Amino acid sequence: MAIASDINPYQGALKGDNAFAQITDNVSRIMEAPKPPRAWYIAMGFSLMLLAMFGASLGFVVWEGIGAWGHIHPVAWGFPIVNFVFWVGIGHAGTLISAILFLLRQNWRTAINRFAEAMTIFAVICAAIFPGVHIGRPWLPYWMTPIPNQMGMWPQFRSPLEWDIFAVGTYATVSILFWYMGMIPDFATFRDRSKTTVRRLVYGLLAMGWRGSSRQWHRYERAYLLLAALATPLVLSVHSVVSFDFATSQLPGWHTTIFPPYFVAGAIFGGFAMVVVLAVPSRQFFGLKRIITMRHLELMSKIILATGMLVGYAYGMEMFIAWYSGAIYEQFAFVNRAFGNYGWAYWTMIFCNVLAPQVFWSKKMRTNVWVIFFVGVLVNVGMWFERFVIICTSLARDFLPANWGYFVPSVVDYATLAGSFGLFFTLFLLFCRYIPMVAMAEMKAFIPEGHAHDH
Amino acid sequence: MSSMKPKSLQDPSTVSSGELKTPCDAADMPASAAADTSAAPSHWRSLAELDNDPEFREFVAREFKTPLEEMPLSSKGRRRFMQLMGASFALAGCRWKEDKLLPFSERPEGFVPGEPVFYATAMDIAGVATGLWAKSFDGRPIKIEGNPNSASSLGATNTYHQGSILGLYDPDRSQQVVRRAGQRTPSSWADFDRAAGELIAQARAAGGRGVAVLSEASSSPTLASLRSRFLQAMPQATWVAYEPSHSASAEQGIELAFGQRLRAVLAPERADVLVSLDADLLCPSTDGGLAYSRAIASRRDPSGSMSRIYAVESSITEIGSMADHRVALRASQIAAVVAYLDAELSAQARPPAALGAAQPRPDAKFLEDAGVKKVLDVIVKDLLAHRGSSLITVGSRQPAEVHAVVHRLNTLLGNVGKTIRYVEEADRISGGAADLAALVAEIEAGRVETLLILGGNPVYNAPVDVPFAAALGKVKNSIRLGLYEDETSRLCTWHVPQAHYLEAWGDARAFDGTVLIAQPTIAPLHGGRSAIELIAGLLGLPRTSGQDLVRATHDASDDKVWRRAVHDGTLGSAALAVEPVLRPIASMTLTEAALGSADGIDKLELVLELDPAVHDGRFANNGWLQEMSHPLTKISWGNALMIAPITAERLGLRDGFLATLTLEGRSVELPVAFTPGQAPGTLTVNLGYGRKVAGRVGGLVDEDVEVVGTDTYALFTAKAGAIAVGATVTPLNRRPDVLANTQDLYAIDDIGARGRDERLPQLLRETTLSDYQAHPEVIKHKVHHPPRLNLWHDPVSYDGHKWGMAIDLNKCTGCNACVIACAAENNTPVVGKHEVARGREMNWLRVERYFKGDREQADARQMPVLCMQCENAPCEQVCPVGATLHSSEGLNDMVYNRCIGTRYCSNNCPYKVRRFNYRNYNLDVYGTTPYTGTDDPRAKLRSMAFNPDVTVRGRGVMEKCTFCVQRIQNVKIKAKNARRPVEDGEIKTACEQACPTGAYVFGDLNDKKSRVAKAHGEPRAYELLQELNNRTRVQYLARISNPHPELATEDGHSERH
Repeated sequence: MAIASDINPYQGALKGDNAFAQITDNVSRIMEAPKPPRAWYIAMGFSLMLLAMFGASLGFVVWEGIGAWGHIHPVAWGFPIVNFVFWVGIGHAGTLISAILFLLRQNWRTAINRFAEAMTIFAVICAAIFPGVHIGRPWLPYWMTPIPNQMGMWPQFRSPLEWDIFAVGTYATVSILFWYMGMIPDFATFRDRSKTTVRRLVYGLLAMGWRGSSRQWHRYERAYLLLAALATPLVLSVHSVVSFDFATSQLPGWHTTIFPPYFVAGAIFGGFAMVVVLAVPSRQFFGLKRIITMRHLELMSKIILATGMLVGYAYGMEMFIAWYSGAIYEQFAFVNRAFGNYGWAYWTMIFCNVLAPQVFWSKKMRTNVWVIFFVGVLVNVGMWFERFVIICTSLARDFLPANWGYFVPSVVDYATLAGSFGLFFTLFLLFCRYIPMVAMAEMKAFIPEGHAHDH
Repeated sequence: MSSMKPKSLQDPSTVSSGELKTPCDAADMPASAAADTSAAPSHWRSLAELDNDPEFREFVAREFKTPLEEMPLSSKGRRRFMQLMGASFALAGCRWKEDKLLPFSERPEGFVPGEPVFYATAMDIAGVATGLWAKSFDGRPIKIEGNPNSASSLGATNTYHQGSILGLYDPDRSQQVVRRAGQRTPSSWADFDRAAGELIAQARAAGGRGVAVLSEASSSPTLASLRSRFLQAMPQATWVAYEPSHSASAEQGIELAFGQRLRAVLAPERADVLVSLDADLLCPSTDGGLAYSRAIASRRDPSGSMSRIYAVESSITEIGSMADHRVALRASQIAAVVAYLDAELSAQARPPAALGAAQPRPDAKFLEDAGVKKVLDVIVKDLLAHRGSSLITVGSRQPAEVHAVVHRLNTLLGNVGKTIRYVEEADRISGGAADLAALVAEIEAGRVETLLILGGNPVYNAPVDVPFAAALGKVKNSIRLGLYEDETSRLCTWHVPQAHYLEAWGDARAFDGTVLIAQPTIAPLHGGRSAIELIAGLLGLPRTSGQDLVRATHDASDDKVWRRAVHDGTLGSAALAVEPVLRPIASMTLTEAALGSADGIDKLELVLELDPAVHDGRFANNGWLQEMSHPLTKISWGNALMIAPITAERLGLRDGFLATLTLEGRSVELPVAFTPGQAPGTLTVNLGYGRKVAGRVGGLVDEDVEVVGTDTYALFTAKAGAIAVGATVTPLNRRPDVLANTQDLYAIDDIGARGRDERLPQLLRETTLSDYQAHPEVIKHKVHHPPRLNLWHDPVSYDGHKWGMAIDLNKCTGCNACVIACAAENNTPVVGKHEVARGREMNWLRVERYFKGDREQADARQMPVLCMQCENAPCEQVCPVGATLHSSEGLNDMVYNRCIGTRYCSNNCPYKVRRFNYRNYNLDVYGTTPYTGTDDPRAKLRSMAFNPDVTVRGRGVMEKCTFCVQRIQNVKIKAKNARRPVEDGEIKTACEQACPTGAYVFGDLNDKKSRVAKAHGEPRAYELLQELNNRTRVQYLARISNPHPELATEDGHSERH
């Protein structure tokens, strides 16, 4: 527990005898307030607009055919798959924070884990939409699932896309379970504090009869630990499997053995950046500064810096291996990626993912919310571009020069990209308002107050 | 043969205008009728009957179940009736002749429903005739193949032939007789016959004064004989032919050389040395092009005795891309080249005095270029070394004197009777700008009152300095026979629909003089008449049916002879060779341009050429042809200004940007296409685009259908002809809205260019004949890779058949015949200009074009790419739903209705031969899919062009080359029924069958004696990207050139060893 107490972020933040009450008050206040802050309305309005655009553009795609997207002949996967990988990647930080950091007893995670888990689930929802609508016949994605049928149709299990179905499906299921289970005691708190019948009923149902007995606590903690252990391999598996979509193919620029670790590192990197981007305004507008402290932000900045350098190493290693392979197509793919006609995308990615996080070497920078927020945004942009660079530039110039093309996105591409953020933020804003944003019960176990009478 | 249509095509008006049903039609009655209504029945069928109520009694008493006053013809119903009839009259414009559909009570002999029948026919394009076969399914022609029995085809076809089937079912074709007196009034053949009969009667009385006929070029002996009869009946009438591609100089050149009208028939298969001077024997618009293609290709096999081809030309032609040595020179300098060759050859060969004096050695500036001079000197040496087995050809657009000198050269080299023979020219209908100008002068002088225009489209394609359109307005009665109601028809007082060549009897004369007989394969869809039927009708001949006319021309009174001729499609034999005596030829006066330096941008030379896709504009409304990309620029749906990169850069032009091209004060705007290999200082532009009244594909200004390409007839003058000197080009700093190119433009970034150049020697392998003979392994050694091991055992053993293909790069000329044949065979949709611009064209087969050499002297290379049918297919492994699978014969099969469209297969295909239906292209283009159905008669007509053997794909599925699996199955079934093995060559894929040069060979690799197995065994066979271990079933045969030893560049083998 030495590490945990060393970096306990609540040291000094929550003081006094009523620390438990402060936590409960701080978190429940958001739900109990008659009206959310004005910023919530503004953000919600904006998100709903984007969400409507998302619905309209996907409806158009289904109606018109996926030709509405900007795909060209060599670039058969464009924005939808870029967005899919991007959103799946975002989800990673959630599992990492909830499962791995839990197992490693990184107790500071309790302030942000609920948040990150919610983000994971919403990101996976956003991600799951894209493979379904990117296919040519969007009414048939269930053909990829092994549903026994009288026609004897069965999926083809050698395809990495098939692996994706299971990897992402498992990930979504475990994440939702983990998230929901963790919320049960907090739902009970909400239930108990609710003043209207409807709320009492809804939160009562969600609390599943939680009474806080020590047997319940015992079972709860066992189950939580087990789920954490189950979820841990998923952190590595999901994005590794997603990376197989590319790594197992023949395409230069995709056919790379470094992809699984590289994708996982990138996903954690991007996920943490997204947590930061969400945490900074949330703690501001919902008055959670004493719960999500500057210390949290600083720790996350350090993780961003570390994973960013892992990602940078992967970029360099790709280049090196391409040169070292002696295969001309492989060499060309990487030289072209950096210096060819998509160079602008590559250097955007390098700037955002490798250079921008370097500011976190300075303590001053990583404790400045504006810098943290801004770098977080940049990293998200960079991670989106990373997937764009991998997917589109490799496809745009593959083996036979006669096939080469230049992918230009259509309006629908941009609309679906922006729209998916609409879905994400709408869900997130609803979460902020109606669901315990911070794991109150867990937190109480780790603040100094929780240990005050132990000995 | 009657036109047979599915029942659903029935005229809607016959149904809705009310069918009279009898009261016995029980289903329609509220209650069944009983005969006896007086007493209560013991058995009854309805309560109404039992009750015998008054309403029921009235119903029974009534004769018709519908009350009379509600019948359509009664006063109350008349309004409705008129509405319905009005609607069907309005629709009538979009329909074709109705015939009763009766099932056969006895099956006609030899007719098996669903089994295709081939009928011999012939297509005449601007006087160039080819014997063809039309493949007909249940009375519906759906595919064109070459007639192997005709020397004009030898089984091959070109793009125009392949595209013509789509033209037959073009809903924009003219469907009715139209009269224009101030405004457009639909009329009928009866009215036309009456009016025209009166006109002709008057004209006959006046001896034909004031009557003129303007026809397109034609090789038809029947039309030629009708012309004589027409002029006999009306001696003062005139008959003029106009074809924009016509060049009188070839005919005049022969007359200059031999003093008589002859026709040169070539035998390039016997030529060891072939010198092509601004000529393209392989071009689809060359008469005999298909035969010459096969002949020339037969000498390009490195295991046989290979010919050597020299090409001197301004733009890369098909033969230029096959040539061993190519010199890019201005077309206007060919005269000086010919003079130089004559001077040198005569000096060294010392011809007999009877041949006259040689041309003086020209003092041409381009001869100062050491490179050019060296090649010309080697040509002289090589020609002298191959007397009697060499051949010099010259382009038809070159002046008559140049042609004459080339005939002299062939004569003095002893080639006459060996590689070239002369035959008597038959009576053909041909004419060019001068003839049209003469007609316009006649009209201007008020001497033409009645003008009959047979085909063509002179209002659109007349030279800009021949004001034909204006003159046409001055003609009192103008009658136009046309497939479309186009630019010309709109200015005529009468338009009558022409029968498509597949709808009518006809004949034609092939390049070698044989007669081709064409029989109709379907009754005229829109009641059209052929030119011969129209003329015969106007002349009041007793028998005006096409068959009678054709038969009479060829004097085939014997039924057996006639039926044989119709069956074979050919009649008689090739014209006999004559031995003409060469006359001395006066020395040519060479123009300043001919003697100028090779480059020099001050006086740009502009060459206007027929388009490889739309010809002179006649195929502008053909989607397949519009979507075909140009062999050099790779631009589809439009034309471009082809210019050498060095010239373009000096003029400040940018690749893919627009430029203004001006000639004699007239200008057009065109996109610039950097074309390496184009002679510096020259511009090549295709004609045939910018049609404003072509149809809903090629441009229809009235209906806001985008005009395709630029009309370059604005620069085409009778004065300058096809080669004009003094054009200017100014750059415009903007791009065209859409440039539908199917391959990258030439200008790409440095990284891309470097990557392209680095890999091309591995992808498109080539070497010289001497190198190949010394080191046959050189081709396989172009790529070195680790041993190709497999993780798994092959799941399929290929015990039965093992299909494979070989593509000979030595033979491919990039003509695109295979591309269109594939589209016709496999129902691949047309996607339109904007989708092509996104690379979404659906052709399963593409021809990749690359350039070789430096920017100044580049050669073109053509490489067809289709599905390689990999044994270890990367696409199969990544499909999550198993929609692409391996067959036991090694085909990589697509299951369309299992495909959900993840497109992963396309991403993992290194050849990118898979094509995805991003939209519902068949619905967009044809207005229907097999799944949606339609009542739109246009769509129904269009969908008749589908091949019933091939599934029509809908939106959202992947598709690709199947090796024409339907053809494989059909032959296998036939062989199995006959209890015999499938013979080699019995199965021909559509591309193989169409290919003029025989570059494709398909067959069974398990049959060690098959042509394809032998081809795969050749040392020059290689797999494309073999290092990926896909184990492709398609192998390429490397391009082996045969350069002259004195001009050969460094040894290819030493490069990477």
